[in-house]
Amino acid sequence: MSAPSKTLSALMPGDVPAGDGRRALLAEIDASCRVPVLFFVVSGLAWLLLGTLLALVASIKLHHPGFLASWEFLTFGRVRPAHLNTVIYGWASQTGIGVTLWLMCRLCRVPFVAPGLATVAAVFWNLGLTVGTAGILAGDSTSIEWLEMPRYATPILFVSYAMIAVWSVITFRLRTERHLYVSQWYLLAALLWFPWLYATAQIMLVMEPVRGTVQAAVNWWFAHNVLGLWFTPIGLGAIYYFIPKVIGRPIHSYYLSVLGFWSLALFYNWNGLHHLIGGPLPAWMITVSIVASVMMLVPVTVVAINHHFTMWGHFSKLWHSPTLRFVVLGAVCYTLTSLQGIANSLRSYSEVVHFTHHTIAHAHLGVYGFFTMVMFGSLYYVLPRITCREWPCLGLVSVHFWACTLGLFLYVVPLSVGGFLQGLAMNDASVPFLKVVEGTLPWLKLRTCAGLLLGLGHLAFVANVAWMLARVFGPYRKPVVALLTGQETPVVVGK
Amino acid sequence: MTPMFLLMAAGSLAVPAVALWALRWAVGHGEFQMPERAALLPFDEAEPVGEATDIILNQRTSKR
Repeated sequence: MSAPSKTLSALMPGDVPAGDGRRALLAEIDASCRVPVLFFVVSGLAWLLLGTLLALVASIKLHHPGFLASWEFLTFGRVRPAHLNTVIYGWASQTGIGVTLWLMCRLCRVPFVAPGLATVAAVFWNLGLTVGTAGILAGDSTSIEWLEMPRYATPILFVSYAMIAVWSVITFRLRTERHLYVSQWYLLAALLWFPWLYATAQIMLVMEPVRGTVQAAVNWWFAHNVLGLWFTPIGLGAIYYFIPKVIGRPIHSYYLSVLGFWSLALFYNWNGLHHLIGGPLPAWMITVSIVASVMMLVPVTVVAINHHFTMWGHFSKLWHSPTLRFVVLGAVCYTLTSLQGIANSLRSYSEVVHFTHHTIAHAHLGVYGFFTMVMFGSLYYVLPRITCREWPCLGLVSVHFWACTLGLFLYVVPLSVGGFLQGLAMNDASVPFLKVVEGTLPWLKLRTCAGLLLGLGHLAFVANVAWMLARVFGPYRKPVVALLTGQETPVVVGK
Repeated sequence: MTPMFLLMAAGSLAVPAVALWALRWAVGHGEFQMPERAALLPFDEAEPVGEATDIILNQRTSKR
C-alpha cells in the first residue's frame, strides 16, 4: 500500500480542509486514480470495440447465414457467446470497476490506496478474459449462458476480483468521511454480490455440475442477477452521484434513495426464475419469482421518482453536459427496461414473448440502454479529471451520443415489436415454423443497421479518448480550463 | 456432500447474514438519521451545492 503523500498527510485523518485545501485533496484523489482507472477503462474500451465487431458478425449471420461461414471459429455458435462475454466481462465489468474505484475514492475522501494492487488486478482480469475468449472461439465454450468461458480461464478472473475486493475493503477502512452516501451502499453491495453469484454458479454449473432442470434454475438465477446485482447497483450508484454533482443540486429525497437500495437488495435476488415460465420446475418456484419481479415496482418507482424530481427545473443542462445526457438517458432506460422486465415476468405475457427476439431487445435495453449509457456518461466526467485534460473534440461527443441513441432506438423498438409478432406467430399452430423465421428477417436487418450506428458511436468515443490520452502522454500539453480549478482563465498545466 | 457444496451453502448463508449485519451497523451508526446531511456528501467547499460541474457543450448558445 502506498503511503499518503505530504499534502494528504496534512489533511488526514478526519480533517475537513476548506477552500484550497479541499480542492487540493480532490486534485490529489483524481491524480492518484489515474493509472489503475485508466488501465481498466482503456482495456474496457478495447473489449468494447472487439465485442461490437463480434456482435456485427453474429447479427449479419442471422439474415445472411453464409457470411464468413468458411471459418469454424467465426460460426454463430462461437461468435455470439464471444460477443456476450467480451462486452459483459471485458467492457461493462471493467468500466464498471474503473468508475467504482474512482467513486469510492471520491466519496471516501481518500486518495487511491495500493494502486499497484488494482493495476495487477486489471492485468489478471484481461489475461483471464483473453484466455477465455480465445477458448470460446476455439470451441471450448461451456455452453452455459453467461458462463461460456472455459474452466481454465475463470480462476484467473477470480484472482483478479479477489484483489479488487481487498482493495475496496482497505479503501473503505481508510475513509475520512464517516457517513456513507447512497452510492457507496450500492457500490459496496455490488462488490459483495458479484463474487457470491460468480462462485456459486461456477461451482454448481461448471466445477461440480448439478443435474437436470436445477442447472437451468441456477443458470437463470446467475444470469439475471449479474444484471440486477452487479451492473444495476454500479449503474444506480453512478447515477445517484453524477446527476446531483453535474447539476449542483442534492438528490430529491435521500430517504427514497435508501428505500430503493434496500428494496432492490430484498427483491431482486428472487427474479431470475421467471425466465423459466412453462419449464419443468415446481410451480411455486416460478410463482415466487413472479411475485418478486412484480415487487420490483417498489425500487424502480422510487428510483424513477427520485431521478425525475432531482432533474426537475434542470433539464436545460442536458444541452450542455455530455455526462448528464448519457446518465439521464441511462436512468430513463433503467425505468423502461425494469417495467418491461416486470411485464415479461407475467405468465400471460411471457407465453408470447419468451424464446423470441423480444427478450434480446429487453436485455440490450438493460445492459446497453441503462448500464452502458451510464458508464459513457460517467467516463465523460471522470476522464478529464484524472488526466487533467479537456475533451479534445466536442463534435465527436455529439456524434457519440446521437449515434448511440439512434442505434439503441433502432435496436430496441423493432426487435421488441418483431419479437412480439414472432411470439404470436409461434403460438399459432397453423403457421409453419419457416414462415415465422422468414417473418423475423426485416427486424434482423434493422438490428444490423442499429449495430452499425452503435459501432460508429463507439469509434467516435474511442477516437476522442485516444486523442485525449495522446495529449496526456505525448509532447503537446493543452492548458486546462476551469474543470478542476474552477477558474475562468486558463491555467497551464505541464511537467 | 462435497466441500465445494458446503462452501457454497456457507456462502449463501453468509450473504443475508452480512446484509443483516450491514443494516444493524447502519442503524447503529445513524446512517438513516440526518438525510439532509447525507444528501450533501457529494458536495464540498471546492464543488459546492449550486455549482454545475460539467457544462462544456453549446456554451455560445447559452450565453445568448
